[in-house]
Amino acid sequence: MKRSIPWWLGGILMTMLLLFTFSIVGADRPIGASTYIPYLAGLTFNLDPEKYRYLKEIENSGAWEGVFLLGMLLGGFFSSIFITKTFRISLIPTAWVKYKNSSIKSRMMYSFVSGFFMIIGARLAGGCTSGHFMSGMGQIAISAMVFGGVVLITLIITGQLFYNLKDPSTQGEKND
Amino acid sequence: MTDTSLFERFAGMFNNVAGQGHGSILFVFFAGVVFGTIIQYVRADKFEKIAGFAMLKDTVVPKMLFLTVGLTSIGLYFMVDSGYASYHIKPIILSGLVIGGVLFGASMAIMGKCPGTGPVSISEGRVDVLVGAIGGVFGALVFTIFYDDIFHAMMGESMGKITLPSLVPGYETLSVIIFGVSLIAISIILPMKELVDEADICQITGKKLEDVEVKE
Repeated sequence: MKRSIPWWLGGILMTMLLLFTFSIVGADRPIGASTYIPYLAGLTFNLDPEKYRYLKEIENSGAWEGVFLLGMLLGGFFSSIFITKTFRISLIPTAWVKYKNSSIKSRMMYSFVSGFFMIIGARLAGGCTSGHFMSGMGQIAISAMVFGGVVLITLIITGQLFYNLKDPSTQGEKND
Repeated sequence: MTDTSLFERFAGMFNNVAGQGHGSILFVFFAGVVFGTIIQYVRADKFEKIAGFAMLKDTVVPKMLFLTVGLTSIGLYFMVDSGYASYHIKPIILSGLVIGGVLFGASMAIMGKCPGTGPVSISEGRVDVLVGAIGGVFGALVFTIFYDDIFHAMMGESMGKITLPSLVPGYETLSVIIFGVSLIAISIILPMKELVDEADICQITGKKLEDVEVKE
């Protein structure tokens, strides 16, 4: 079996999934993938939705995405074992070593901090790559276009400034 | 505070979904499985794909995203038009979108994941992303606890749930087709670039990392 499919096939399959989920025979709602995090945080730490207004607001979409998340984890796990065969326990991405540094501690620290701010950012905007970029722009919503534009620009500026892109052959040593 | 066990609270999640009328538990779960498999199979969950795009060394993710949005916008418009679906538009909360977008974009470049691709990455054994997800849970806790005091005010007032076609009355269908076709065209025209993870090649071919030539 092929280890990966091209971008256009991925795009067509993703479109079919989005349209089916949107349809009245599917779920009659968009796909989103960032509301589950505050929802699951609320469940895990037993926060009372009556006390925290935000949890009350996201109760339904959070639960929906929580179940969706479980499916995602299973789908990713099975395909990494049986299809792409890329399952392995790893601590640091190869390109991080090449373009940033080879320190696992540095990668973990940046990962934790960026995860922290990523979710605050997604919840401030009311969506993420799935909810705004794919589902929202698929609905040609102005809110999604504003978010998508800001994310694209910030993503590229950060990428250019954060990584050492000048001469990759000299990278790989600790030079953070 | 209600006194329920963790198990009961998670059972409540399934009960909630069952009663929402947005697809059965099985449908939602299966949609997740398909979503995870597509992301994984395109390899869009890899650090090299998303951080690689931020470095402008990989274009798989933007090509796939633009194609998906282009096709979906046209398909969904006609589905809504014929009554097979309805729009669920998010409000324009300008400062929330801009501040949130900046935080999100910068974090995405550094982590090399987003909330949709991160879990897929974790399921394929990436411990650094799991650490990022724990960071995300704390971010969500802070957001929830300080929502009333800080974050709600930061998001600003809603300027309505507006779509592009509603701004050009009389030309709704045309505007959707122009939007969709333009995005599909961008996805095709955008030059194909790939940043390959040598570790994946090694795992598949059984070679050691040093033996593999670095390709870009």
